[in-house]
Amino acid sequence: MNTLARLILLGVLTLALLIIAVCVGPTSLLNFSSLGHLLREGASTPELQRASLVLWELRLPRVLLAAGVGANLALGGLLLQAIFRNPLAEPYLLGLSSGGALAAVLALAAGMTSVTWPALGGSLAVALLVLLLCRHRVASDLPSLLLAGVALGALAQAFTTAIILRFNPEALRGILFWLMGSFANQGWSAVALVLPTAVVGFIFTLFLHRPLDLLAIGGESAHHLGVSIRAVQIMGIALAAVLAAVTVAVCGTIGFVGLMAPHLARRLVGAPHAVSVPASLLLGVMLTVGSDLVARTLLVGTELPVGVVTGALGCMFFLALLRQKR
Amino acid sequence: MKNIAVKTFKLCAGYEREDVLRAVSFELYAGEVLGVVGPNGSGKSTLLRALTGLLPLRSGEVQMQGRDLPSLSAKERARLCAVQPQIEMPLFDYSVRDFVLLGRHPHRALLGAAHSADHEATERALRRAGVSEMSERSIRALSTGEWQRALLARALAQETPLLFLDEPAAHLDPGHRYAIHLLLRQLAHEENRAVLCISHDLNLAAEFCDRLMLLRTGSVLALGTPEEVLQEKILQELFGCAALRVAINPHTGRPGTVFAS
Repeated sequence: MNTLARLILLGVLTLALLIIAVCVGPTSLLNFSSLGHLLREGASTPELQRASLVLWELRLPRVLLAAGVGANLALGGLLLQAIFRNPLAEPYLLGLSSGGALAAVLALAAGMTSVTWPALGGSLAVALLVLLLCRHRVASDLPSLLLAGVALGALAQAFTTAIILRFNPEALRGILFWLMGSFANQGWSAVALVLPTAVVGFIFTLFLHRPLDLLAIGGESAHHLGVSIRAVQIMGIALAAVLAAVTVAVCGTIGFVGLMAPHLARRLVGAPHAVSVPASLLLGVMLTVGSDLVARTLLVGTELPVGVVTGALGCMFFLALLRQKR
Repeated sequence: MKNIAVKTFKLCAGYEREDVLRAVSFELYAGEVLGVVGPNGSGKSTLLRALTGLLPLRSGEVQMQGRDLPSLSAKERARLCAVQPQIEMPLFDYSVRDFVLLGRHPHRALLGAAHSADHEATERALRRAGVSEMSERSIRALSTGEWQRALLARALAQETPLLFLDEPAAHLDPGHRYAIHLLLRQLAHEENRAVLCISHDLNLAAEFCDRLMLLRTGSVLALGTPEEVLQEKILQELFGCAALRVAINPHTGRPGTVFAS
């Protein structure tokens, strides 16, 4: 099967999964005749009113949010893996998630109810700090950027732990849920934050596709082929930071998607970023939406943090793929 | 009348506090192969980095086709001058063809499929570097020598009037080493390109280059035809090797070096 056919198949599968994820849940919307009825004529009976409420206020925003987050994480991971020339790079690399978590915990301790904006600020602040600390080294010494990110992340994490320990058990449960990543209790406002960044991120990354190819192959080669290495690196890192910060703000830390999606994409459609960018995005959407579907349907009456599902399922899937490779 | 492709004037460049290149002045002409030779650490690779804008100049000038190097945009530079770098390890699995097609980057828009001219240049480059038959293989599955030829193919796909190579034959077997050097000569003599080739192999350089430039601790010790540059006394002292002798290849009449013991 050629690359384009694979991409189209991936797109169709993603669309199918999105539709299933919208329909499946405690209130099933799988009854297509009533769903069609609902879309055509509006909510005329109490049952349809309930279905309408579930569809528009719960399912749709949640699935779209998960899709946007998956896209953001996958694009962020792809960008950073190419720029850092490191297959282990992932979107939280620059200490982002720890910075976001610290800000969120501080906000909760201060009595705020929504952590979206503090977490966004905290994530971006850490990324900015890392970039500023290493601004003279961007083109020449990327590993030091990584180390600074890890160090600042560890610092933020230490503070976070110290603060969390002072929370009461009920608040502790809430913050742990957030830290593990969850799409519960978010609505259209979160969607409005995530989806536009995903679209903008996708367009930017697509424009960078060949410079990313060249950076992944080797810094000096990229220079000889007419890429302004420093400009692409700074743009790419900043873009990846914004994409990741937005996801941390709306749903905490969802591990592994940003690492996994780009690798899966390259295996499916090949390494050139012209095809691995759209493929990563689609796979990120599928992984996140699928994991959220499992997280909210696996246990009756309660739900798992989606980060637990992406971590568990993702790791197993990934290990199986690695075994299969050689 | 020979056209000047590259002209440097009192070029100084280096790392940290130290100057590695000290007032290097030379001209590279269109239609010639210029070999750059010298001991380890004499500044050969640094010269390549300075000529291509990777390393900023401390002082002095570099002109490419009559234009100051710093005034060229990254893409303009890449349309003038292609570089075959030393071996870099690839991270991801690109097919050899996709990899060589990346050499067309400076000629392409940021978005959009490759034009037929890009595909033609890619096929031509694959053929000339002798990697056509492995074009569907992953670059990570190549041997070092094959990978080095793929790097050459990518530089050829750029189709530039200037071509710089950093030890293009370092990992090649004798047959391929010979073929690559014939190709360099053909590129210069028949297509009027300017070729600058860093080499550790004095014999190959003397055999195939029109002129040689001998570097010592960052400055030009000698510049001229192989016969002029390969002087036994100078080479013995430069490489710290009293056993080095200059001998004439009986088949071509070109000078080369052998060891007396």
